[in-house]
Amino acid sequence: MSTESHNKQNLSRAQVLMNCSEEELSQSLLRDGVGPELFAEIVRRYQKQIYYHCRNLLVSHDDADDAVQNALIKIWQNAAQFKGESLLRTWVYRIATNESINLIRKRKPTIDFDEAQPEMAEMISEDLYLSGDDIALKLQKAMCFLPFKQKLVFTLRYFEHLSYADISLLTSTSEGALKASYHHAMKKLEIYLNVLR
Amino acid sequence: MDLENEKIGPAYQAPDSYFKESESRLMQRLGIDINAIVVESVSVKSEVAVIQSNERPPLDTIGVQKRARKQDPITSKSLGINKELDTLGNVVIAPLTFTTNENPEWVNFGAIPAEENASQTPMDQQIKKVSFGDLLSSSDTNNAISHDALPVIETPEGESTVEMPLEILEQELISVSDEIDPIVETHEETEITAEVLEEVAIESAIVDVLIDEVAEVTPVVFELDVKPADNVVVHEVPESIGLDELESYIIAPQNSSRSESVNPIKSESTLSKTEQTLEVEEKPMSLEAPQTAFAPIAGRQNETATPGWLGIAAALAAVVAAYFIWTAIQPPKLDTEQVVLQQEEATIPEAPLDETVPTDTIPDGLQLVEPLIMEEMPKYIEPNVYSIIDAAEMPERTKQALQDLEDHGIATFDMEDELFEELDLESL
Repeated sequence: MSTESHNKQNLSRAQVLMNCSEEELSQSLLRDGVGPELFAEIVRRYQKQIYYHCRNLLVSHDDADDAVQNALIKIWQNAAQFKGESLLRTWVYRIATNESINLIRKRKPTIDFDEAQPEMAEMISEDLYLSGDDIALKLQKAMCFLPFKQKLVFTLRYFEHLSYADISLLTSTSEGALKASYHHAMKKLEIYLNVLR
Repeated sequence: MDLENEKIGPAYQAPDSYFKESESRLMQRLGIDINAIVVESVSVKSEVAVIQSNERPPLDTIGVQKRARKQDPITSKSLGINKELDTLGNVVIAPLTFTTNENPEWVNFGAIPAEENASQTPMDQQIKKVSFGDLLSSSDTNNAISHDALPVIETPEGESTVEMPLEILEQELISVSDEIDPIVETHEETEITAEVLEEVAIESAIVDVLIDEVAEVTPVVFELDVKPADNVVVHEVPESIGLDELESYIIAPQNSSRSESVNPIKSESTLSKTEQTLEVEEKPMSLEAPQTAFAPIAGRQNETATPGWLGIAAALAAVVAAYFIWTAIQPPKLDTEQVVLQQEEATIPEAPLDETVPTDTIPDGLQLVEPLIMEEMPKYIEPNVYSIIDAAEMPERTKQALQDLEDHGIATFDMEDELFEELDLESL
C-alpha cells in the first residue's frame, strides 16, 4: 500500500513537472533538489537542444553525443550547485558548452580558440543525421572558418535564439562584445556564402 | 546574401529514436529506472482517455451534416452535405485499366497468340501485307503477287506478246474464279473488295500517268471487279519514299507480272499456271515469329544517310578539343633544369631549421576563399572595439562610464572573460 502511494506521488510529481514552466522547474530544483522525475524532465526538455548546440560546435555526431552525455551526467551530479541566478536553460547550455570545449581540448591540446578550425569543414558532409539542406551545409562549413568564440556566439544567437543577456551570462562576456562578435561572424559568413554561390 | 533576413535552418536532423536510445543509455549509466515513470504515466493517460470517451455523445450521421460542407461549382456557395441526396444519381466509373509492352515502340508479332489470327474475318484473311523488301527478295512471293495483284489488268496493249483477245482472257478468268473456294460468293464481300481495289488504284495513280493504255484495259478491270477476288495484296510503301523509288517499286512487280502473265499465254495453257498460283496462295499463314521478331510500329526506319567517316571525324575532333582544354587548364610547368637546380639548392640548407614549418590544413578549394574572408572585408567598417583586461577590478563608476559609451554606440569594450577557463558551477 505504501509502495502504491509512493508511486502515485511520483506520478503526480512527474506530471506536474511536465506541465510547469521553466521558472517553476528552476524553483523546484532549488527547493526539492534533483530527483529521477526532475532529471528525466530536464533530459526531456533540453536533450535535443544541447545536442544540436554541441553538434554545431563540434561538427562530429560522436563528439556531440559524448558531450551531451557528459553534460547531463554533470547536471545530475552537480544539480545542488545551481543557485538560480540564471535560467535553468542558460545553466544547462553553459555546462554543455564547457563540455564541448573540454572535448576539443582533449582531441587537440594545442588548439587556439582565437583561430578558426577549417579542417572541421571536411567532416561535415560525411557525418550522420544531416538534414540534406545544401545551403545549411554551406553555412556549417563557413562556420568552421570562424574563430571558436565567434562561432559560439553565432550559434547561440542564430540557431538557439538566446538573448544577448542570456549569452552574456553564459559566456561571462559583456553584451557589447557579444554584439561585436556576432556582427563580425555575420559579415564573414555572408561573404563566404556569396563566394560559394 | 543577408543572413538576418534569410533564415537558414539547421544542417543536422537526428531521429527521435536516437534521442530515446541516448536517454535510456544515460539513465542506465546513472542507475535511474526510467521505465517505471514512463509506464505509470502511460497508464494514467489511458484512464483519462477512457473517461473522456464515455462522455462523448454519439455521432449523428443522418440528414444534412452541418460541419461537412461542399462548394457548389456554379454558384461558389458553401452548402451542407446531405448524404442521402448526394448518393442519388452518382455514377460510379470503374477505373480504366490497360496494359502495354515495356517498350511501346516495338511489338513482338511472334508473341501474338494463334487464336487472334484464327478469329479474323474471312475478309481479313484475304488481305495480305507485302513489303517492298519481300517483293524484291523472294521470287516465289513475286510469282504469287504477279498473279494475285491487280496490276495484271494493267498490261499494256502495246505489248507485242499479248495476242490473246479479251474474250478468251475473260473466259479463263471466269473459269479460274469458279474453281476458287466459295468464300467470295456473297455480294457484300465483293463490294468491300471493290473498295479496297479502289484504294489500291489510288495508291498506284502514278502508274496511270506513266502508262497510257490503262483506259483501254478498263473493261477488264470491270470484269475483275465483278469477279470475287480471293486474295488482295496491299503494298506497304514507306511514306518517305522518293518518286523514282516509288516508280521502280510499282513497276518492279508489274514487270514480273507482265513476264509471268504473258509467258503462260505462250505456253500450254493459262489455266494450269493459274492453278499453280492458287496452290502457292493457299499455303497456310505461318504464325511463327519472323526473323525480325520485333518490328517497329512506326513503319520502316530508314537508315541514316550520314556516312560513317563523318562520325569518326567528329570523334577525332572531340578528342583534339578535349586535349586542348586539358592542356589549357593545367598549371604551368617549370623547366626541368630549373627544377633540378632548385632541388640541388634545397638539399644544401645554409642553416639547420630549428622550427617545424606548420602545414597548411586548409583544403585547396577553400584556400581561395579564406583570405577573402579573413582579411578582405569589402564595405565593412571595423567597429571601435577595445579589449579591457582587468574588467573585474575596475571601479563601478568606470564600468558605468564604459557601459554608457557602449549604449550610445560610441565604442565597444571586449571584457576579459572566463569562457575558456574550467567551469565553476557555483558562479551562477
